[in-house]
Amino acid sequence: MTTDLNQFPQLDKTKFEQRGIQLEIGVPVTCAVSIGNYIAAGFGDGTIRIFSSGEKHKTLKAHKGVILCMAKDGDNILTGGDDGYFLKISLNGEINEITNFGSRWVDHVAAHNGNLVCSSGKVVYYWDKNKKEPKSLNHDSTIGGLAFDAKGRRLAVSRYGGVTVWKKDYSNKWKSTKLDWKGSHNKVSFSPDGKYLVTSMQENVLRCWRLKDKLDFAMSGYGSKIKSFAFIDDTSYLATSGAIDAICWPFDGEGPMGRKPICLPYIGNKQVTFIEPFPDEKAIFAGLSDGSVFLSQIENENNTIIIRSFTGSEVSAIAMTDDKSSIFIGDMSGNTLWTSIWDQ
Amino acid sequence: MENKHQVPVTVLTGFLGAGKTTLLNRILTEQHGQKYAVIVNEFGEQGIDNDLVVDADEEVFEMNNGCICCTVRGDLIRILSGLMKRADKLDAIIVETTGLADPAPVAQTFFVDQDVANKTKLDAIVTVADAVHLSSQIEDHHEAEEQIAFGDVILLNKIDLVKEENIDVVTKRIRKINPFAKIIKTTKCGAPLKEILNLDAFSLKRILEVEPDFLESDHDHEHDDDVTSLSFVSEKPLDMEKFQNWFGKLLQTKGQDIMRTKGILDFKGENDRYVFQGVHMLMDASPMGKWPDDKERSSRLVFIGRNLETMNLKEGFEACKSE
Repeated sequence: MTTDLNQFPQLDKTKFEQRGIQLEIGVPVTCAVSIGNYIAAGFGDGTIRIFSSGEKHKTLKAHKGVILCMAKDGDNILTGGDDGYFLKISLNGEINEITNFGSRWVDHVAAHNGNLVCSSGKVVYYWDKNKKEPKSLNHDSTIGGLAFDAKGRRLAVSRYGGVTVWKKDYSNKWKSTKLDWKGSHNKVSFSPDGKYLVTSMQENVLRCWRLKDKLDFAMSGYGSKIKSFAFIDDTSYLATSGAIDAICWPFDGEGPMGRKPICLPYIGNKQVTFIEPFPDEKAIFAGLSDGSVFLSQIENENNTIIIRSFTGSEVSAIAMTDDKSSIFIGDMSGNTLWTSIWDQ
Repeated sequence: MENKHQVPVTVLTGFLGAGKTTLLNRILTEQHGQKYAVIVNEFGEQGIDNDLVVDADEEVFEMNNGCICCTVRGDLIRILSGLMKRADKLDAIIVETTGLADPAPVAQTFFVDQDVANKTKLDAIVTVADAVHLSSQIEDHHEAEEQIAFGDVILLNKIDLVKEENIDVVTKRIRKINPFAKIIKTTKCGAPLKEILNLDAFSLKRILEVEPDFLESDHDHEHDDDVTSLSFVSEKPLDMEKFQNWFGKLLQTKGQDIMRTKGILDFKGENDRYVFQGVHMLMDASPMGKWPDDKERSSRLVFIGRNLETMNLKEGFEACKSE
């Protein structure tokens, strides 16, 4: 008999695992979004699974290769893949090709009010909902992330050297403003109140711009790359992965400058790899590198519950239905959990 | 300890027209029962059509970590992370670089990016050289020289077009730049794939197996910016603290000129052999078990780079010998 002290203690199944549906798909879960009370999840083999309560999940073969990105467009799912396809998929399983770029990957997709965007390499393609042909927005380097602001008026495109913010002027022409900071910027997001723009960088740091005066600052101290972050309870907090705690920066009032973040600790000392907000609450789901998922209240670190126990594989997707009744969790080995949150 | 599976990545470099595309086509079309993904550059000489070919745009960027040589390939980080999400597991990945590219940022990506390092490992740098034109290319383009300097394997291609005695001249030229690369003479890049892929050349263990051709340290001086190599041997054990001070400072201040380093070190008072290798300022080092009983303990150190003669390497190394 040998014992390994580093091993996570063997836990019983959580009540969520007991009452939920667990699948071992065997290929990485790459993304998930909520569409009403449905969750769509994308996988490394090009399949999409659609979960809803009371029904068996539906499996669709959408892409020939990895589904790299996903977004919600009304009642439809937008996906981009390493097969070069940009697809629109209905919840009934109807698949429509928006375009395809051949051997060039579709790295990022986003949508707002029927207007669609995707990026492939250095170019962002924007489809106005009233037009058939996309407008190309060119950049000097490969695009790291795309995000609309809450009103859909501005589109932020992160890249090497900063962020380009695109906006249509009164004559409907695209105008861009550059926010520069040396280095490679990946995921990008506007704060829900529209006052800030945040990127996670190739280095273990976040960059933030206060948009009214373009004042920029770093949020640093991380042990690894910040792959996931989200604004919580409108713009109360920015919760981030990249450390063994979930790091929550205060964004209310005058913003995070000169203030300390709240650090939410989890058992096992594993890296937080995924953050998903609990809608309208100061609470987050945190997924860890060992597959475990916790739900925590930001302002009360004692109020943390375990949703899913250890699987041994990094959490790569979490999504909650719009009615806040159920959640989906997926990891890099394809272990998934679909469960209701509330006790019956 | 978790035994993680890392997909080996071969970096394929070489001057324009040397035969990289010929080799890539062989890798993609030969019946080898392996699944290889190939990352090609956007200025590729000719199109290769295959599901497992990915276009890259060679985006080189500097890390903001204070290390001036820390240039990495941003597109490569993105593509490798995408490839790791595939349902089918890859046996190897080959990264082609343009004829004029410096291979260092590609190699450094594997040292610097944690996600890349977790799931993939740098297997070897393979340089395809044109036996007909290499000598003149080295004279005219510093990139050609750098590609030879970085190579773990050099395919000396098109030897059918060169006279026997000229092959010797080219081989000597290569050896002068890079004493530890394995040189394979080919026509149409016809070397067995097992001599090119999955070599584990960047594993520290392999350094123990490869005996570099130790050249005399006093070499002919041709141009100031020639890439050359220097090697040193000491039968006397080294003082660990002195060595670390000297070597650390050396890489910090001269890391841009020093392209590759490899060494096996015998420290006074230590039972283990210490093995290291570096690309510019980045270094991987580790104790590698006890010295074998049948082998004399000694320290060996090899440098490949520019302006090596200005760095007082011999004196620096001598001063590290224990009292």
